[in-house]
This record gives sequence, structure tokens and C-alpha cells, in this order.
Amino acid sequence: MSSIRQAKHQRIPAFLRSWGGVFGAGWLIFMFLASITARWWRPYDVAEQDLIARLQGPSSEYWLGTDAVGRDLFSRVFTAGALPLQASAVMVLVAFGIGLPLILIAAERGGRVEEAIGRFAETIMSLPSTVILLAAIGAIGNRIYPVMMIFGLLVSAALYRILIGVAKSSRQHLYIDAARVDGMGSIRVNLAHVLPSMARPIAVQAAIVYAIGLLIINGLAFLGFGPGEPQPSWGFMIKDASDNIFNSPWMMVPPGVALSLTVMAANALADALAGPLGIPEYTPPKRRRTISASPAQQSEGTDNLALSVRDLSVVVEGGPTLVSGISFDLRQGEVMGLVGESGCGKTMTARSLLGLLPAGVEVSSGSIIWQGRQIAGLPERDAIKIRGREIAMISQEPMVALDPLFSVKSQLTRPLRRFRGVGRREARRIALELLRQVGIVDAERVLRCYPHQLSGGMAQRVAIALALTGSPKLLIADEPTTALDVTVQAEILSLLRALVAETGMSVLLVSHDLGVVADICDRIAVMYSGQVVEAGTVAEVLEDPYHPYTMALLGANPHVADDAPEPERLAAISGSVPPPGNWPEGCRFADRCQFAASECSVAFEPEPAHVDGMSLCIRTGELRRTGAQWAPEHRGAELAVESEAP
Amino acid sequence: MPLYIAKRLAIGVGTIWAAFTLTFLLVHSTDNSPGAVRLGMGATPEEVEVENERLGWNRPLLTQYADDLGKMVRLDFGQSLINRGDVRDQLSDRLPVTASISVLATLLAGIVGTALGVVAAVRGRGTAKAVNAFSGFSLSIPSFWLGVVLVYFFAIRLDLLPATGYSRFSEGVGSWLQSLALPVITLAIGGAAVVARMAASGMREALAREYITTLRAIGTPEWRIRYIHALRAASLPVVGALGVQFIVLFGGSVIIENLFALPGIGQAALFGATGNDFPILIGVVVMSTAVVVITNLVLDLLTAVLDPKLRTR
Amino acid sequence: MTTTVQSNPPAIEVRDLVVRYGGGRRAMKTPPAVDGVCFDIAPGETLGLVGESGSGKSTIGKALLGLQPPTEGTIWLHGKDVTAASLKERRTLASELRVVFQDPYSSLNPARRIGQTLAESLRLIGIKGDAARARAITTLESVGLPSDSIERFPSQFSGGQRQRIAIARALVRDPNVLVLDEPVSALDLSTQAQVLNLLADLRDEHKLAYLFIAHDLGVVRFLAHRVVVLYRGQVMESGPVEDVTSRPRHPYSVALTAAAPVPRPAEQIDRRAHREALSVGSASTAPPDPKGCPFASRCPLADGQCHAERPMLRLIGGQRVACHHAEQVGVTWPPPPN
Repeated sequence: MSSIRQAKHQRIPAFLRSWGGVFGAGWLIFMFLASITARWWRPYDVAEQDLIARLQGPSSEYWLGTDAVGRDLFSRVFTAGALPLQASAVMVLVAFGIGLPLILIAAERGGRVEEAIGRFAETIMSLPSTVILLAAIGAIGNRIYPVMMIFGLLVSAALYRILIGVAKSSRQHLYIDAARVDGMGSIRVNLAHVLPSMARPIAVQAAIVYAIGLLIINGLAFLGFGPGEPQPSWGFMIKDASDNIFNSPWMMVPPGVALSLTVMAANALADALAGPLGIPEYTPPKRRRTISASPAQQSEGTDNLALSVRDLSVVVEGGPTLVSGISFDLRQGEVMGLVGESGCGKTMTARSLLGLLPAGVEVSSGSIIWQGRQIAGLPERDAIKIRGREIAMISQEPMVALDPLFSVKSQLTRPLRRFRGVGRREARRIALELLRQVGIVDAERVLRCYPHQLSGGMAQRVAIALALTGSPKLLIADEPTTALDVTVQAEILSLLRALVAETGMSVLLVSHDLGVVADICDRIAVMYSGQVVEAGTVAEVLEDPYHPYTMALLGANPHVADDAPEPERLAAISGSVPPPGNWPEGCRFADRCQFAASECSVAFEPEPAHVDGMSLCIRTGELRRTGAQWAPEHRGAELAVESEAP
Repeated sequence: MPLYIAKRLAIGVGTIWAAFTLTFLLVHSTDNSPGAVRLGMGATPEEVEVENERLGWNRPLLTQYADDLGKMVRLDFGQSLINRGDVRDQLSDRLPVTASISVLATLLAGIVGTALGVVAAVRGRGTAKAVNAFSGFSLSIPSFWLGVVLVYFFAIRLDLLPATGYSRFSEGVGSWLQSLALPVITLAIGGAAVVARMAASGMREALAREYITTLRAIGTPEWRIRYIHALRAASLPVVGALGVQFIVLFGGSVIIENLFALPGIGQAALFGATGNDFPILIGVVVMSTAVVVITNLVLDLLTAVLDPKLRTR
Repeated sequence: MTTTVQSNPPAIEVRDLVVRYGGGRRAMKTPPAVDGVCFDIAPGETLGLVGESGSGKSTIGKALLGLQPPTEGTIWLHGKDVTAASLKERRTLASELRVVFQDPYSSLNPARRIGQTLAESLRLIGIKGDAARARAITTLESVGLPSDSIERFPSQFSGGQRQRIAIARALVRDPNVLVLDEPVSALDLSTQAQVLNLLADLRDEHKLAYLFIAHDLGVVRFLAHRVVVLYRGQVMESGPVEDVTSRPRHPYSVALTAAAPVPRPAEQIDRRAHREALSVGSASTAPPDPKGCPFASRCPLADGQCHAERPMLRLIGGQRVACHHAEQVGVTWPPPPN
């Protein structure tokens, strides 16, 4: 249970830990308090005229100057805040009061109810709100609170459009279903689970809408629909300033700055509440430094060696190691399986071959010799020439691997024209040929399709065709069938096997499923915690495993032979995979191993195993001699409390 | 696709109807009456009553509603209570002014905003922060104040552009553009900020998608990934944002017309609101809604062209 | 599947269940997600519900739990008709019938401590305060978690541990029927084995009846006594799990069992040859003809009758099979691999 993170319980809410949040909350509170108390501390009354000191700039007598009839701008600016700050809050309450129930009802009921509410909201949203508000003023008179309530109604439609998606995805959580299964009523589910999970977007929208409210109130005041003179409003003070702009440009500064700062505060608060967007920063592929530690050793011996990886390490810059000291070879036309549980580094290993590691992750040492050339740490402009032409890749989720906005034809013919230098028509012909090669019968129709029109299996075939556009010699298949149904998986595996036979390319298959590896691979490398723990031919490793981890994985697999009795208990491995950065010294599997002994806690070299394979277990020889087998625990063992506390 | 257009059209017609109904109800919910407005302060209650009877104000509400709705369909909004002119003629003279401002401002906001957003998305953290700060700033400056500031610098201090007034398109494109430059820029800055944020997050989201990895894995050049694939994906939310922005800017132009003394719909709305000129108010609301509906329809079609999921339905 | 009333009613009995999503004319045109499904589960028994995506297996689970109203058919829980149970009835039902979902990351509210999540469920039946706390701790310990887990948040646990918590949440009201909706599909192999062992141990200890929904025949074979194979909402075959997985009688079951790869290369070579000799067609996205067998368009044995007439479930050997040609399966078909 070493993977458990300590939860941090800060007393200060997250949004107050940024400058924007502090400024936003601070200024709004300051302005509100200052403006509602202004009548007790302001130096002059808002109506007090000093006709001698008209249109003055700042002075010791009038700190922010005076207007056209000599009224003190300082007193007026601070008094003017109270009304918009309160009226906008009322507007926000009305908007959420109408919007939130509609959002929750639509998200819960779905179907026709949602459609009807959605239509209604869309209609309201398309109304030009300023014009409607002017019409309202024309009809019911210049009454600020009722007019802002009408505005709140209009805004509730916009809230609906923004928040309905949030509410719906919040309802997707299975804990909502679990609460309903418990027998919890609809209102209680909404109050206890749905609303709290929407708290952040609701707070963000409230702050944004509040800012808009401030602008609208003052915009109306600018047009003359504010509080009646002599009561001050920022909007009308700006109007006043614009009328006197030739005589006293200074006049526009105090009300404009006050209003802008207040609106800015609400917007800054919204930004701080929103926190960092969950979208990863885009880092353009950079020119990677070439690794000094690895002289380009020429491959010797077997002349059909396609790929040779030696002591490859992949690290997070300034962070933990993800893959450490991996070595393996891949021959021409060979299919090799890289297996392991999630978090063991198999995908990082595969991606490093293409130089397509995520931002901030890099190869730190070791070599990748491809066709006799060192390609680890190749600069981007050289790496890009290898991708697609020599090494290609297909990934796990075929439905998201294709660009949804481009047709299959466009996605296939563009790389074909680039790789093969052919014209439009020839590219189309080759694309059809490729689609037929990957087993698509109605290639003409599929060529015209967009990705959303394809089934999962069909999309994976198209993705394979795309990978074949550059006639690569190595295909990296990262869990190519994990997202597919088992009968479709069988089809794709047969297709890959046929393609290897036809084209003579090599395949590096990344998978967690030993059955898939047994079906298609010639060789296998079993990974655990960033290392290869056992390697050899598939037949050797899976039929007669040397390493305890491989034994355990095989014992945990419930697929027994036909007519063989189902075991009463499966072999399980206690605990869970340690995360990168938290790997134990010596054997990284020792903590969970049934055969761990004292010698396992020191570093050791891999033992040779199988014909030309290896096993990273210091007790390999001993275990072979005693014929040790990974035993399932006895019945009822799972009911005992784990000794380690989390 | 035809079904999609028909649906959008139906929503548009529904919106215009809703706008009309809302304003009709607002107008009829007041103590004020058209007779009183038309005759002004000096009239006696009896005179007002006679005038209201003549205008049909005392008929049952539903009869009036049906009658006005029928007239509205024929684009007949009646006569102004103040200057007694035909409302449709008055507004159709003003519509081009407002439409020019808001369409130009939307275009400008779209172009500048998209450019800023793209730069923010692809140029690393520093640029992104700068663009974000700029857009946060622009969102918070009220347009009517920004307008005053711009007038002060560009019209008064530098004397580059006219401070107020409108020059018709027929009087020359140059002077037309000059007269619109300050109002359009004033309006567009806020819109550009919204679009910039939308474009930046759209681009960044697209660049984090799995299919970008697929494209890289077949050696697609980086410019193509950015400006063909990611930009195309980001264009969908941007077009959506522009639809909303147009509504906002159309509303904003009411205020801006007042500041720059432009003879647009907004001025009419303002006069209507100040003078309780009911027919003008209804006419303004219905016409503005119609403009918004038509613009949104155009943007919906653009979305459909950009998104194959809508196109192939 | 016995239809006679026994002295002990089955824990769950489902008859002619039909579930359609949505309403109106358009929904009537698309085939239902679940179409005429019958099964029952005895106390202490585990029934596996197997099928690929779109087979309706999860929808059946939802219908049982009251998360999706059935369009037609009846569901009995311990002999009591619960097809259209009200919320109040559900609240008491929920003590007998509980659920474990697939995704342990989404099935626990991340903002609540484990203790709160368990207590929330108990509060609905009037157990509060210290009693609820004591019961939560006992339940957590019974699934192998330490008692101080109640003070922790879901983010502090690994996937396998979260699934244990989800199981504890189901057990805290002392039920006798559990719906297990793909409870191990999101887990890694070694953790999956832990959870499967735990489920088996709990069943043995508490005599629980399981409806075990899964797509992986291997795990179904480990945990289930009997199995129902679904295809596009209809039952293709049902019977004791060894019979259906080792000697399938329906061409679809044959394809499904042959497609699942085993981690023994020598055996897998034979299985692959067997699988490729089946020549089962690829699935198309087009909905099947409601008149005939849903599998007919992919089936190598299909003839005119299969397209025209929907086969009824028939008892052949120990299994019930919905196939006009079930007698050929295992005899003249599939052909020996060459």
C-alpha cells in the first residue's frame, strides 16, 4: 500500500492562493464596505456643489477633483459603488435561482424534458438583451431592481447552456447511481452529490455573471437609466465626463478606474476560482540533446537484427525514473510482446523508439540502434524522417486515434502523397489498396467516411492502414485490441499476423494481456516497475516461467484450458505496483514476492534464462532446482485485514 | 442536413415570436398608455381615453395580441407615438448603421481573437500568460469608458479619426470606415478577449488529443498539425463563441451609438425607452432579434460545414 | 431454469424482460436494448451474464437495480414483484439488493471520506452515529481493509483497494443479492485476481447470490455457476458454465469462446486455427432484422429460416440454445482446422 498519497488539507481555499484571487476578493469586499459606509466618512455630500471649484483636477481639497457643477468626485465615486454591487448580486441570485433548477431537472430527466428546456434556453439566449432591457425600461419605467431581475432571467438561459454539460457529466459518475440504488430521493441526490461536484464551475460562472451585471447596470446608467440625480453612478459619471472631455479630460479617470477595477476584481476572482485549466500545456517538439553516454555501437552477429535497445532509461525531467536500463533485441519479421501491468513503463519504452515521449519526459541514457543507426535522442528534424517511413505506431483507442474532422480519404491520401510522392489520383488508388489489405471489403465506401461513422474494429483497421502508408519496417502496436470486443480483437490479431507475413515487418506489441501475446508474439519481455524482469521466446516464458512475477501473472489468469477444472482460488499478488520514484532497492518485486529472501534487497545482475533470454531474479537458479510454483492463497484469505496500514 | 437547417430555422422563428411576446407583455403591464404618450403632458384624462379608444388600446388583450402579431408578420409595426412616422421606415433607415458596427466588430474580434489565441496556445507559457492577462484586462474595461478614452486620444489629442457622427457607405468607403473605426474598435476589444481565450483553450485541447499523436507517429510536419488539424478543431468553439459575441456586440452597439452619436437602432431604442414610444420599442426588439437570428443561422451553417458529424447526419 | 414454484423462491427471477431506451416513435423503430430475457438465480448461486458491447448486459443490471425502468416483463426479488417498485420500496429493497460497479474511480464520491460514504447508505435505513460507524468498520475489515480507512478519502487508495471499498459499500446493509457490473474489468491482472478471490470468499461466507456481468469468459468461468450468453439484447444460450464454455451449442457462443486467447502458446495455436476455421462474419453497425435471428448476418450456418424466423430457446443437452441449427454445432460444424 505504498502508493497512497497523503492528502493535503489546507485551511486556505485554493483560489485565495493566487494573486488574482486575493486581489479579486479583497477589492470587492473593500469596495462594498467602503461604499455602504461612505455616507459616514465621505468628505462632502454627493450633492454638495462648489461652483467656484468646477472641473478641477485632484487637489488637497478635492482628492479626485470635481465635476461640472463642482461636486467632489472622491465622495461620489465611493458612494456610487453600493447600488451596482448589490443589484448585480440580486441579478446573479435570480439567474441561478431560475437556471440551476432547470439545469438539474434537465440533467436528471434527459430525453424530451431536456430537449424542451434546451430549446427554451436557446430561444431566450438569442434575444439581444440590451435592447430587451431598454424595452423593459420603456414599458415599466426606470426601476433598477426589476430591470436587473429581467436581465437575470435572460442570463439564466446562458447559464443553462454553459452548465448543462457540467451537470450531465457530473451525473455520469457511478456514485450517483450508487446513491440511487441505496434508495436516495432525487432532491437529496442533487443536493448531496450533484450540486457539490458542480461547485467550482458554479462559483466561476457566478463571478463572471456578476462582472457582466456590473457592466450592464453602469451601461444603463451611462444611457441615463441609473439612479436619479444627484445620486451618483459610475456609468452616468462617465457620461458626464464624455460631455466635458474637451474641458476636463481628468473627469473620466476616477469613475472609469473604479468601475474597471471592480469588474476586473470579479473577473480575476472567476479566473482564480477556475484554477489551472485541466488542459496540458502544449510544448512543441524541441531539438532534443543527443545522449553523450551512448556511443553508436554497431550491431554485430545476427545480420537481420532490426532493433537493438541497450540500457535504455527514460526519466521525467527533474522527477522520477520511469524506465531504467531496459535492453532487448528485435529481428526483422519478428513480433515481440512487451507485457506488464499499468505503470510498469511499457508504453514509455515503446514511445521512446519514435521519439514521441510526452512533454517533460526524456531518454536519459542508453541506446536505441535501429538498422545500425543510433536513434535515441535524435533531434526532431531527423526523428521526423523515421516516423511513418521506418517506424509507425497504432494506439489503444481506435475511435480517438483518427481526426474526427477529416475524412478517411483525406487522412490516408495526405501521408501517401508525402511518403510516396504520388499525385492525388494515385494516392487514392493506393489508399483503396491499403484498405483492402487491412481487410475492409467495401473500401470505396469507407474511404468516404468520417471516423464517427466507423465501428471500433473498422476504425482500428483504418488506423493500421494509416500506419502502413509509409511502408514501415517496424510497427509499434500499443494495446491495439484492448478497447475492442473479443471477437473483433481476434479479427485484428489475425490481420496483424497476416500483415507480418505479407510485408515482413517487425511488430513491437505492448499489451497487458498474456493471451494476446501468446496468440501473436514470437518473443516476450515481461516488465515490472520500469525493468524487464524476464525475456525469452513466448513458448519458453509462458509455458515455463523463471521469474516469480511471471509465474504470478500466469497464475492470476483465469483462462484455464477447456475441460480443465477451474481453480478454487486464483494466484494473486498482494499489495499493488509501486509508483515510479517509490521503487524499492534491489529487487523491485521483493515486497510482493512469495519467495523473497534477504539477498533480494541488494542490487544484482540479470540471470541468463531460457535459450537466449534472461530473468531478473537473484534466486532464479535456486527456484528452478526446488521447482517452486507461485501458490494461490487459501480459501478465505482475502477476508483477512491487510497488515500494512495505508 | 436539411433537417438540421429546418430545426435551426424553426428555433429562429420561435425566438422572434418569443421576443415579440415578451415585449408585448411588458408594454401592456404598465400603467402608461399610448394615448397619454401621444398627447403628452397637457392632455386631460378624457382626451387620453378617447385617444386610447382610437388606437384600439382598450380592446381585450388577446385580440390586440393576435392583431399585433398578424401585423408583425407583415412587418407592420404601426406609427411612432412621438413623431408619428412609420416605424418600419424609421428602423430600416437605422438598421444598416447598427448592422455595420456589429458585423465589423464581430469580424474584427474573430480575426484578432483567433490570432491571439493561436499565438497563446503554441508559443509557450510566457506568451500564454501575457495573452491571458491582456484578455482578462480587456474583458473588464467597460466599452463606454474605453470609447471615451479612445476618443480622447485618437480624436482629440492626435486628431486622426472623427470623434462622432456617421458617414454613409454611399458617401464613400473611406469616410464610412473612418466614421466607424473608433466604435468598431471599442466594441471589438472585449469580443476579441473572449474569442482569444476560446481559441487558445480550443487549440490546446486539440493538441492534447490522441489523434495528434497518431499524426506525429506518421511524421506529419508540425505546422500541419498546428494550423490544419488543431486550428480546424479549435474553429468549432470559436464559431460558437462568435455567435454569442454577435448578440453581445449588437446589444453593446446601443450604448456605443449613443457615445459616438451614430443614427442606429440603438438610438431609436433609447428614444423609445425615454419617451415610452411603444411601437418603436416593439419594432426595435423584433428587428434586432431578427438580425441576431439571421446571423446565428449563418454561423450555424458554418459550424455544419466545419463539423462532419452535423454534415453527415 | 425451472419454471415451477419451489418452496424457496429464487433470489432473483426475471421473466420476458424488455428494455427500450427513450420513448416515442423513433425509439420503437430501433431494436430494444434488452429483448425478452428470462433467467433466475438461486440463493448462494452466481449467474454470469456475458456479452460484447451492445449486448444489453449492463442494461439488465440497471433494470434490476431500478436505474432504468423496464418496458415489459417482470422482476421478482425473493418472490416479490419489484418491477415497478417506488422509491420508498426501493429503500428497503436496497438492503437486499446491492451493486458493485465497474469503475472504482467513479463509483466513490471523491469529496467524501470512506466512512461518510458508508454511513450515508446506513442513514437511509435509520442507522446513525456510533452504530453506523461500528458497522462501517466491521464491513471494511470484512473486505480486508484496516479500520482507519473510514477517515480517508478515495484518492488515498489504489484501484484494487477502491474496489474493495465499493464492495464494502454494497455489503454494509447486509444484502443477500449483489449485482456485479464488470467489477474487475478496470483492474490490473494481479489486482483482478485479488478481487475475484474476495468475491468468491464473500459468497461462500455470506451465501450471497451474484448477478455477475462480464465480457471476459475466463473470469465468468472462475466465479459463475451458470451463464447466460447475450447478443444484441437476446439470450443466445444459457446453462452450466462448464458446458457453455467447453461445449457451446450456439454458433455465437462458439465464436465467443474461440476468440478469447489463452496464455499458453501451444494451446493458443490450436485455438487460433479453430477460430479461423469458424469463418464467422464481422459485426456490422447496422441493426439486425427484428424478424430473424440477430446473429444470422454473421453466422456461417445461417439459412433462409434464420433470417425469417427468430429461434426460440430450446433445451439441448444441459443447455438452452436459441438456434435453429444447434444440433449441427459440435457435430458437423465447425469444420476441423486444416
